[in-house]
Amino acid sequence: MEREFLPKIVSFLCKWCSYTGADLAGINRLQYPTSILPIKVMCSSRVDPVFVIKAYLRGADGVLIGGCHPGDCHYQDGNYHTRRRVAILKRVFELLGLEEGRIRLSWISASEGPKFARVCNEFTEVIKSLGENTTKTTIFL
Amino acid sequence: MGEKIGIYICECGPNIANKVYIDKIIEKISSIEAYKNKELVIKNHKLLCSIDGKKFLEEEIKQNEFTHLVIAACSPKDHESTFINICKKTHLNPYLFRIVNIREQCAWIISDRDEATEKAIQYIRGSINRVSYQSPLEEKKLDSNPDVLVIGGGIAGIETALSLASKKRKVYLIEKTSKLGGKSAKFRKLLPRQNCNTDVIQKKLLDVEENNHIQIFKETELEKAIGFFGNFEVILKNVKDNNLKTELRVGAIIVASGFKQLNTSELPKYEYTQDDDVYTSLEIEEMCSQNGKVLLKSGEEPRSIALIHCVGREEKGYCSQICCNYMLKIAQYLEQQSSDIKIKEFYRDLCLPNKDDQFFLENLQNSAIDFIRIKDIEIKGNKIKYIGTDDTKKEIEVDMLILAPAMEAEDGATELAELLNIQLDETGFFQEAHQKLNPIATSTDGIFIVGAARGPSGISESILQAQAVGGEILTQLIPGEKIVPEVKVSEVLEALCKGCQTCLNVCTYGAIYFDEDRGISVVNEAICRGCGNCMGSCPSGAIRSKHFTNPQLYQEMVEALR
Repeated sequence: MEREFLPKIVSFLCKWCSYTGADLAGINRLQYPTSILPIKVMCSSRVDPVFVIKAYLRGADGVLIGGCHPGDCHYQDGNYHTRRRVAILKRVFELLGLEEGRIRLSWISASEGPKFARVCNEFTEVIKSLGENTTKTTIFL
Repeated sequence: MGEKIGIYICECGPNIANKVYIDKIIEKISSIEAYKNKELVIKNHKLLCSIDGKKFLEEEIKQNEFTHLVIAACSPKDHESTFINICKKTHLNPYLFRIVNIREQCAWIISDRDEATEKAIQYIRGSINRVSYQSPLEEKKLDSNPDVLVIGGGIAGIETALSLASKKRKVYLIEKTSKLGGKSAKFRKLLPRQNCNTDVIQKKLLDVEENNHIQIFKETELEKAIGFFGNFEVILKNVKDNNLKTELRVGAIIVASGFKQLNTSELPKYEYTQDDDVYTSLEIEEMCSQNGKVLLKSGEEPRSIALIHCVGREEKGYCSQICCNYMLKIAQYLEQQSSDIKIKEFYRDLCLPNKDDQFFLENLQNSAIDFIRIKDIEIKGNKIKYIGTDDTKKEIEVDMLILAPAMEAEDGATELAELLNIQLDETGFFQEAHQKLNPIATSTDGIFIVGAARGPSGISESILQAQAVGGEILTQLIPGEKIVPEVKVSEVLEALCKGCQTCLNVCTYGAIYFDEDRGISVVNEAICRGCGNCMGSCPSGAIRSKHFTNPQLYQEMVEALR
């Protein structure tokens, strides 16, 4: 039997909100797929758009960026910068003929364990429906 | 010397041991071809954070002389600091250590034990990769100055100064007017029990003036402030003679610049002139303090008075919190002054949130005061047009009107925010570092906000905040103790920076400056908090966030993409 496609989702989680939210999901024993690979960053604004493209070209089926809710950023306004960068990044993806649906930005606070699990489940389903990212084998830089 | 990486898997009692196959993890990691050039030591332990566990780990590190350490255990929130302390004890640089969260983000979220084991292996491999790319970082210790500058001589500033001076801390208290005490010194009586003001505020004023540890600068403003927590250099200037300057060095700065009342001439629905008997609540307080009673401009006693709440409430978009309370207080002054005065209070909603307020209100409701709830109101001189809650329009005329204008940030708040590199929020008051978690700090370390400068607040709340700041400073800024700034800061790589200064614009903390001579941006490591926003913004990839570099993250990531 062919094994079901399990996407690879690189998840950049800010230390203060989303990473803690992910911890809370665990503490509450909420279940979400193993597709998620969390990478802790100090702030979502640390996520360099070029790095996201790199992840994508390297074969990530999806990239999730988790930050604090607007107005709640530990560093005042980092997440507003992230929001703008992700908006532009999605445009760049479209222009390059890539699927912008493979990038997701979510605001997940430290107290939103259930939301973290929900986002992971939802996003995994979205990526499953998009299928495997073939860019790795079709684009060479 | 080659790499020798210690990998320790904590069973966390049954928490991890019953959810993944630890022996399989050890077997798999030991057999990975890619690690053949590294020396790996992989072991497990029942509970690494226990006394036994810590001792075990300490001995292992010493015996094996690891170059790097990976611990697969709980969330870093729980025990990263525990293991960092062990690193420090064994002289392994803590930045060559990495904790892998295989509990909260692995064992507890996957019910299938095989899948969880796979996931744990992936996480651990990611961290083994990453840790080899980590660099040792050294904490820098900086001398600090324990003295404090307080800006604003109102009740919040005074209380802050007193609480710091009570522990013999040197405080410089600056006030732009010629008098200390601010607005609260003008009040005749204080809520909630109508204590006489002289007992409370005036006593504090005396205490401040007489305190040897507090140096007061009246008619003085801040001209310049540079530096960072523990080491600020400030220049003060006299408001009358700008050439009269004072240079000081302090470790922390407290903004207690207070509020002002909204200028009612900005509101078209409130039309009156200087000749009309229309007063703001503060003017009435002053009048009461001076004359002991409220009188009309003609010198006669008024026979009918309207008190109007919420003046400018809608326009400002926030509730000033204290007005309902003090309007009731003024009503009580009037009632006590003469039983012949007809008093009407026009309000929309009563905001009486403190535990004593209800009692105070009930007392007044039993008196002859007329409480009228309205939807809208307009005044022209001493004539009032209003719409009641039943939508009927009514008009009345009174001898005197007393308004409760909304509280706004004091003049000069914008300039002060700019000088100190802190923010104002959308209401114009100073913005907290975090509304809930850090409500008296600002975005700049070592700069605090108290009292009505950070939003509408009454005397007791201002005093609470002042005492909180006092405690914060007394515990954070200790004479003789060094300050350790953030280590995981950003740095600019000179060879790659093309001087576009994008990073200067995104940095909330003003931690980056432009070096004109070299044509590059430079990070002031004492101010940088290490968020990495500059790195995310840099179009030339010239910024490196220490401990979160691209190669480090990349090495962690490739494991996910294998």
